[in-house]
Amino acid sequence: MRTTIVSHEDWLKARHELLAAEKAFTRERDALTRRRAALPWERVTKPYRFEGRDGPLSLADLFEGRSQLIVYHFMFAPDWDEGCKSCSFWADNFNGITVHLNHRDVTLTAVSRAPFARLEAYRKRMGWTFPWVSSANSDFNFDYRVSFTPAELAAGEANYNYGVQPIDVSDEVGISVFARNADGVFHTYSCYGRGIDMMNSAYQFLDLVPKGRDEGSFSFPMSWVRRHDDYAAQTESRHTCHSCGPASAA
Amino acid sequence: MTTHATGTREQWLAARLDLLAAEKDLTRRSDAVAQLRQALPWVRVDKDYRFETDKGPVSLGDLFAGRSQLLVYHFMFGPDYKAGCPSCSMIADGFNGLDVHLANHDVMLWAVSRAPLAKLQAYKSRMGWTFPWASSHGGDFNFDFNVSFSEAQERAGEVEYNFARNTHAMDQVPPPAPVAQFAASCGIDVRTFRRDRPGMSAFVREDNAIYHTYSTYARGVDAIWGTYAFLDRAPKGRNESGVWWRRHDEYDQH
Repeated sequence: MRTTIVSHEDWLKARHELLAAEKAFTRERDALTRRRAALPWERVTKPYRFEGRDGPLSLADLFEGRSQLIVYHFMFAPDWDEGCKSCSFWADNFNGITVHLNHRDVTLTAVSRAPFARLEAYRKRMGWTFPWVSSANSDFNFDYRVSFTPAELAAGEANYNYGVQPIDVSDEVGISVFARNADGVFHTYSCYGRGIDMMNSAYQFLDLVPKGRDEGSFSFPMSWVRRHDDYAAQTESRHTCHSCGPASAA
Repeated sequence: MTTHATGTREQWLAARLDLLAAEKDLTRRSDAVAQLRQALPWVRVDKDYRFETDKGPVSLGDLFAGRSQLLVYHFMFGPDYKAGCPSCSMIADGFNGLDVHLANHDVMLWAVSRAPLAKLQAYKSRMGWTFPWASSHGGDFNFDFNVSFSEAQERAGEVEYNFARNTHAMDQVPPPAPVAQFAASCGIDVRTFRRDRPGMSAFVREDNAIYHTYSTYARGVDAIWGTYAFLDRAPKGRNESGVWWRRHDEYDQH
């Protein structure tokens, strides 16, 4: 890891050069945000049903009165005992900020296929406060390309992240965004795979340190990640997602 | 009625695929900038900085807690502030809970502020945070890493922040409305408020020596400001024309 050791003045010269690159990147990111906001919307016509704490909910209900909805597709299949450890890592990133998003007219909700009672138990174990509803018995996860049918699993490939990919796990990760007005509910945006990278601040922190993400020596990048209450035990997870490694490695 | 352009699934997908290419390009650019950061030279830290923590007085080396990398979030909380900066508080809401992950990947994440430890502890308890937070009260640490400035520097307009002199909104005379608003929310006058600034600094420990590797300030903390990463995906984007955020327990009061 050792690099050149210099005086503060020489460091400052190098830092100024980097600063120009950082500022250019930040401006490009702003430009991309504007492009994203200009995407056309598609009307949602299917009457999706979800299960929450107070019973069944429609997609419109998930907005909780706001005009924008961000759905975190949390990997938690009907036959799993625990949520995906990498999604749990992502959830640690957004658990504390939902209140701020709410004050920008955004509701952030996690949605998974496992029964609501199991989501609720896991949410309590992890100490999270964000809303989390079940899409069991609904096409929602399949339509937004984060759950795969038995036929797709048998074929070993499915359309995920806007392309046909090898698939060996029934549920994958993603983020979908919806807008609501008097005219109805619209799907505006979805991202998958590394598309969710910037919503993980921990990785943005790692991008600032000398070793960076430091995952090159692992068989799959996120193999160091555990549920926040599992680090002491250093237990291995049974379920991993596409971006953090093959299920067979678990 | 919907004023925004709507389309069929196929039309949306075509636009989305165009955007996807641009997004992938941006992610790769982000990786490339991170590589540039890692290639920065290091500066040896020779000063014996002291901090007050929940476990008593410690050195800069102690903050590493056995890891080889240390990341300091310079949380704006000057000695006279009655409460921490609202923007730093919103950022902290995003990183609270991440320290355990980073600590298991050879990085200790600490918040460091100039206020006395008791003030930091009381505020941390009010906010319900668990990340480690050290006080640099009475030491040079904040001044050396350009996030605190003396009364004389502030008065003379000689504040060197974000690698430039007097270019930040906080340096403007008279102060812009948001700066006055933030100062008031910290229970302090503008001149005292702006003597502390936000930023992040990274350090590495190797062969019993400590090196300063990186610092960033102002909008340089944007990427770790988790709320914005999500808002950047919402239909309305960041949707802001001024200061809209509050401490998480103060929204209902406005």
